[in-house]
Amino acid sequence: MTKRPVLKATTAAILLGVLSTQASADSTTRVALVPGGPHPYFAAWEQAGKDAARDFGLAAADYRVPQKWELSMQNQILESLVTQGYNAFLVFPGDPVGTVAIANELAGTGAPVLALAGCLQDPSEAKFCMGTDTGNSAYLGAKELLEVLGPGAKIAHFTGFLVDPNTQLRIDAVARAAEEAGAEVIQVIADIDAPEPAEEKINAYLAAHAGDVDGIITTAWVPAVVAANALRRIGDKRIKMVGIDHDEVVMNAIRDGYVHGTMLQNPYGQGYIGSFVADRLRSGCEVKADAPFKSIALTDKFIDSGTVFAGIDAVDNYVASMQAITAELMEGFEDTYLTCS
Amino acid sequence: MADIEQNSAPVRNPVTAHPPVRQMTAVQRFFLSNEFGLIVLIVLFTIIFASISPMFLSNFSLYAMGRTAAVNIMIGFSMMVVIVTGGLNLGVGAIGVCGAMFGGWLMQAAGLHWLPACFGALIVGALLGATNGVMIVKSGLHSFIITLATMSVMFGAMIFLTQAESFREISPAFSTLGRMKILAVLSPMLLTAIVIGVLLWLAFKFTTVGREILAAGANARAAELSGIRVGRMITYAHALSGVLAVVAGLMLVSRTGAAIPSMAGQLGQDWLLPAFLGPVLGGNLLTGGRISVLGTFLGAFLVTMLTTGLLLMQVGAFWVQTYLGLLLLIAVLLDLARRSYLARNKLV
Repeated sequence: MTKRPVLKATTAAILLGVLSTQASADSTTRVALVPGGPHPYFAAWEQAGKDAARDFGLAAADYRVPQKWELSMQNQILESLVTQGYNAFLVFPGDPVGTVAIANELAGTGAPVLALAGCLQDPSEAKFCMGTDTGNSAYLGAKELLEVLGPGAKIAHFTGFLVDPNTQLRIDAVARAAEEAGAEVIQVIADIDAPEPAEEKINAYLAAHAGDVDGIITTAWVPAVVAANALRRIGDKRIKMVGIDHDEVVMNAIRDGYVHGTMLQNPYGQGYIGSFVADRLRSGCEVKADAPFKSIALTDKFIDSGTVFAGIDAVDNYVASMQAITAELMEGFEDTYLTCS
Repeated sequence: MADIEQNSAPVRNPVTAHPPVRQMTAVQRFFLSNEFGLIVLIVLFTIIFASISPMFLSNFSLYAMGRTAAVNIMIGFSMMVVIVTGGLNLGVGAIGVCGAMFGGWLMQAAGLHWLPACFGALIVGALLGATNGVMIVKSGLHSFIITLATMSVMFGAMIFLTQAESFREISPAFSTLGRMKILAVLSPMLLTAIVIGVLLWLAFKFTTVGREILAAGANARAAELSGIRVGRMITYAHALSGVLAVVAGLMLVSRTGAAIPSMAGQLGQDWLLPAFLGPVLGGNLLTGGRISVLGTFLGAFLVTMLTTGLLLMQVGAFWVQTYLGLLLLIAVLLDLARRSYLARNKLV
């Protein structure tokens, strides 16, 4: 462990510890953290909920996963959670518009609703949306990659579903970074954030064009895993890659030198801070009307949950890196975004 | 709305080789029916779930359950009207989504009022269903094969035409229907399902076409010989199935305020289990010839209730489908045992 991550981890732990003592004890808040369906990205929400429940004295902060990515399934689970007595909801919208109706109904029961990791289309009763500024994350990742490759590099971009509005933002951001660095994006492969299409398209592309590319950037979880595996199989460390998220396959590939680094997102922080905020809102706090929210395509009430690059020097301490982002965001969150009497 | 069965009159010929069938009163028949069994199960599970969580009978829970049940009931009806012909419609989900997406397109892109838009969607459902029917009749292939193939064709065409994009500018008045509460607990969607159920019962009980569809399902050859145009009846049944599937799709559009291509999963497959559960639990014969609208209604309601109850008991969401699959299997076996009992005791 190098000195920098140790310092980060210690600071984060102290800060989170201090903040947690400010929370109300023995709260009656029962938070449900509900993703749109099963996906490894959301796994960190479970631990975040447990930690938040412990640190802030919540009655519960439970992670409930719909069996599959189906809007009606998510709706039914959310309705059932109301019946089970949950009174605060942190939801990844199964559909930015389709989920507005159930979010408004949940809010109608008096429960605060926050959109996490993905946003609802305004107007909605969600208090705000907290997620990764996906365009910024892709831009920073591409910059990290192009810094290693230098001018004139040719890169390929593997990304997520085209129906996800974030995908186009990522494609544009990578193109902008490449243009600024004098590099060229020679291939964009989208719609592959699932194992089968990712395996098929990435492997086929690398089999035919591995010699033509100098670098790869991936901006979705599954393509990052598949591309990392493919580079390990090829065994050629000439191609540099920057991935996304913290799957063990990607982290091991960084350790072994097949991947240059990864852009960490902050699902842990989303779940942890979201649970804290939900409890504060139930305790009488309100979201400030003039809070410094960012505007994105879907909403004018967006909070960036943070992103950070993890290379070989940070790969063994990425949890500390994520905690550091969380601590940074948590510090002053209440003063910045909430009004509490 | 008890069973409507073709050729179900008791045999009275004294020279028959079969032993005489014991006569039962209407009440006795009802106690031995699927519908009675389902009512008992619904009451039983209500008591169990309510004792586990009093919130089960809260206004919010009852309203949410009724609204979800309405969609499942319509999906069940859609399959039921084809099952009575002795066929299947695997494309219930695909047709439902295609029609609903067309309705969404009419509201958003064509700017139509929601009433004509819904009417247009229903027409599309009828046409797609009728296409299935015509292909089944003309080719002579089993409906399983035809609807399996057209399911992919229809869904694929819809994805191509919409570019997998949702229609999100749905008429607010139409979306309000999906969220409206009557007396705090009742959804207009459930009322719609009840009204359609009554209309279906009346159609199969009292209209010539309804009786002829049942006759075609009970024994196609006999029906043909008695002058019924069996092919036409099969086409009518599939067209009706398409309309009912689109009603289910429109209910979901109203519920979410958006027409979403994935509302029934990939190829509409997510509707297959509820499509079979309602009719099979309700006592509709898979071989055709007998319809139970009430049974399908109760079966679909029971399935919704069990799903809600299992989620309420915090049974992992991943297990719910497993339990529903087991329920389908048990229902089929129980129905087999029931019919065997009736036959042994000369009650049928």
